[in-house]
Amino acid sequence: MAEVKRRDETPNPTKEPKKETKDTPSGGVSRREFLIGSGAGVAGLVIGGVVGNQLIGKPAAPAVVVPDVVAPAEGAESPYKSGYTLMFDPVQCTGCMLCAAACSEKYGAFLHPEETAHVLSLEFARIRPMRFQYVDVVNVCSYCTLLEFSEGSTKFPCEAVCPEEAIITVPEGEGVEGYYGMGYKWVDRDKCLGVDKCWRCAEICEDQFASGMSYDPIDRKAQVCSRCGGDPECVRACPEPGALTWVPAGRNGREYAYHPSDMAELLYRKMYSTVREEL
Amino acid sequence: MAELYGVAGKIARVDLTAGTVSVIEPDEKVYRKFLGGSALGAYYLFKEGIYDPNLDPLGPDNLLQFMVGPVTGGSPNARITLVTKSAYNFFCASTCGGHFGAELKFAGWDGIQVVGKASKPVYLAVVDDKIEIRDASHVWGMGVEEAELILKSEVLAETEYREGMIRDADLTPEWAALRPPKRQGLNNKRLAHVMAIGPGGENQVWYSCVVTEGARAAGRYGAGAVMGSKNLKAVVVRGTKGHKLADKKTFLALINGLQKTELKNIQRRLYGTTGAGGAHSYVEDGYPIRNWQWCSWSDPNMRSIAGPFIDSASFVRHQSCYGCNMPCLKPVEITSKDPMLNGVLSDMPDWEAMGMVGGNLGYMEMEGADPAQPFKGTIKDQAENLAKLQYTTFLHDNYSLDFIEGGNNLALLMELIQRGFIDKTDLDGIDLKWGDVHAVDALFKKIVYREGIGDKLAQGTYETARYFAELKGKPEILDYSQTAHFYGQPAHGTRSPVKKNALEYVTVNRPCSHVGGGGAGFAKDDYAAAITDQNEVAATNSLVFCYFSQGEWGSFKIDLIKAATGWNDFTIEELREIGAREYALSRLFDVHVRQLKDPKAEWDRQTPPRWFNDPLPNGPFKGSQSYDGKPDVLYNEALPAYWKERGWTEDKGIPTQETLKKLGIEDIAGDIAAKHM
Repeated sequence: MAEVKRRDETPNPTKEPKKETKDTPSGGVSRREFLIGSGAGVAGLVIGGVVGNQLIGKPAAPAVVVPDVVAPAEGAESPYKSGYTLMFDPVQCTGCMLCAAACSEKYGAFLHPEETAHVLSLEFARIRPMRFQYVDVVNVCSYCTLLEFSEGSTKFPCEAVCPEEAIITVPEGEGVEGYYGMGYKWVDRDKCLGVDKCWRCAEICEDQFASGMSYDPIDRKAQVCSRCGGDPECVRACPEPGALTWVPAGRNGREYAYHPSDMAELLYRKMYSTVREEL
Repeated sequence: MAELYGVAGKIARVDLTAGTVSVIEPDEKVYRKFLGGSALGAYYLFKEGIYDPNLDPLGPDNLLQFMVGPVTGGSPNARITLVTKSAYNFFCASTCGGHFGAELKFAGWDGIQVVGKASKPVYLAVVDDKIEIRDASHVWGMGVEEAELILKSEVLAETEYREGMIRDADLTPEWAALRPPKRQGLNNKRLAHVMAIGPGGENQVWYSCVVTEGARAAGRYGAGAVMGSKNLKAVVVRGTKGHKLADKKTFLALINGLQKTELKNIQRRLYGTTGAGGAHSYVEDGYPIRNWQWCSWSDPNMRSIAGPFIDSASFVRHQSCYGCNMPCLKPVEITSKDPMLNGVLSDMPDWEAMGMVGGNLGYMEMEGADPAQPFKGTIKDQAENLAKLQYTTFLHDNYSLDFIEGGNNLALLMELIQRGFIDKTDLDGIDLKWGDVHAVDALFKKIVYREGIGDKLAQGTYETARYFAELKGKPEILDYSQTAHFYGQPAHGTRSPVKKNALEYVTVNRPCSHVGGGGAGFAKDDYAAAITDQNEVAATNSLVFCYFSQGEWGSFKIDLIKAATGWNDFTIEELREIGAREYALSRLFDVHVRQLKDPKAEWDRQTPPRWFNDPLPNGPFKGSQSYDGKPDVLYNEALPAYWKERGWTEDKGIPTQETLKKLGIEDIAGDIAAKHM
């Protein structure tokens, strides 16, 4: 059985992720308190002590070797950072897909170690670069949140429309190192209805924001970038200096979110002073 | 059948006449013998009797194959090889980078074979196992860029189409009031890849190519014309099944290592000929200027074709093929005073374009000057010259023509005008002069649409020369056709002692290919070494792997094949044998298709007389000629010795029965070989 590593026994209470409280069944409690407090009654939620692989109803995966991860020494800074985001530089990016290959490799091995033991696929990737001939668009969840003053909520849009509350935020100190935690998104696969029954998360994302949701081709359940719990594999894999970086999130992610085809249109204007009608 | 790794185990066979798709499942032995790509394609050309001399290459019976190999897919630098009988009546194996090859493997195919002819324009939509033949009337006539974008989004939109589920009630009331769901989600993503032809292919210009991602072309030997003859506009692929690997861990470790070392190598990082690789010395000996009348400029301050200058003037960014961090394609937006050129999106140029549709068309000198005179223009003039070159590259890519053959074709006409053999009345009034991009543009479009004189010119350089030789009654016109094996010479001269050896072009299995290898061996008359190298390079097109990144992966390609396929006893000798098979098959194919009685006289001796007769007029190797001006040494001494080393007959270069038996292909090629002994 895979060991669940708690990377922080005493999470810093001041760093609690900002979460929606209005809609939680327990009223005014924070998301974190809600998760822990009602854990027993909410089967399958990721809480401290629940093995990640039980969550997806699979036999425990053999420990996946995450290359070059060295546990930080006493007092040293953890490689897992909360409050960071992915930045993509379209001029530096060459569209080589190494980010997607790395993401898919890591996530596929985590979800379906047996099925992917002999298969290299890009379909488990949650970061999806797309080529529009002379421009490449790296497409990944940008962590948009709704705005309270106008949209009446501060949830992620995909989270807001999920009928099963399957899109969750795993707080710092919980989750599986290298995969999720540190205040980033995760899909509770026990709750997710799958793309054939639901797929509202992708629909709202593609309707109004970008194209951040993908699905795994075996279970056909939603996938969203979990930022590898604070140390993204795609950034390690990117060969182009500056093309994909891991930086403190300064703004609401929705300011970076575009439909891939719209982004391509902007890049044609930016890089080639060209307007393309048919993309 | 045992489970196969590396290869997908099946090839789709599409019959456009009948509108059916069937599946071929080759035996593991076939894969092991031919791997994939060009060798496997050659195997099917023989198995299906495409060598029949009466089979019209542009007729419905010809077989067009899009083939990938065991390492295409997961490994970087993935390429695809197109194998068919060329409109020129010879063996065509043309490779191309981009993402298409990997995507085809991810869809679970080792190749797509197309036969027959559709009654109206169609395209193939390949989504994993499902292959559909669909109407392409709405994109017929479009350039490759436009057609590719439209077809890509069409196929993808269908795969993701579903009823909208979000209702206003799913949103908060404020949100729903502000922005109710509009179901606008479709058609934003581009997760498919396309290979398409432009008007050049549709009108079956003999040297038309098949293009992907706007600027990457399976450029040579006219696969686009074959595609056009079948009324097939494009193939769109979306693959989600992944690449099956026997030992994924080792495979990934190998390619990660490759990527890491590549990353540290600045020569590779700046690749694409115009990067650091485009050394100036290269222009001093083997660069085509004005239909090869010159191979260098007396004034070295000719910057328009120097990598650093092109980079400073125009590179916007770099683009890679799947999984590669040697980003060799540099898209540009042309900037020029000339409104026809300004604002057009093009790429680089790469070395071949720099030569064939650059220097070779006389774009680089100031008007009225020749390459022996000093360059009197400014840096702005250099930039304008570059723009002309990039525009001509764009023309060839977008209308899907091979710019190597195309550059030779246009330069031949320019030289014929220069020498007074023809004039503008022969070209429907187009005043074609060295360096005139507007005349090139006008004539190019005549060729593409086969209008007027363009219909004669659309059959390539040699046929153009033959047409005018007959029209004018002057056979010496044929001497200006810069073709070997009847196909245009790439931008690597043979006359200087340090560049390509003429024997490389004469012996390479694909007519006048500049990436046949063997150069080091030929330079020392060590034919065994040259053959070994040629075989390995040929096998590269069966893997299918990129020749340019060889420096990084070449030393562990066997490990890569083993990890992918699980053939743990695979050796380098076996790989070379695959190349030798391809050489033997393609030689027999050419000899039989053209029904050559005396292959040496009718086929191998078709080389540019300029190689042997015109000494280089200037430059560091002034006065030098191929084989010191003695073609008989090449044909009567070197070539028979090379053939002997290959196990072919010394008089005709036909693989002997023993050689075929040794290579294990006597069953498919033995009868043909016997006919030509």
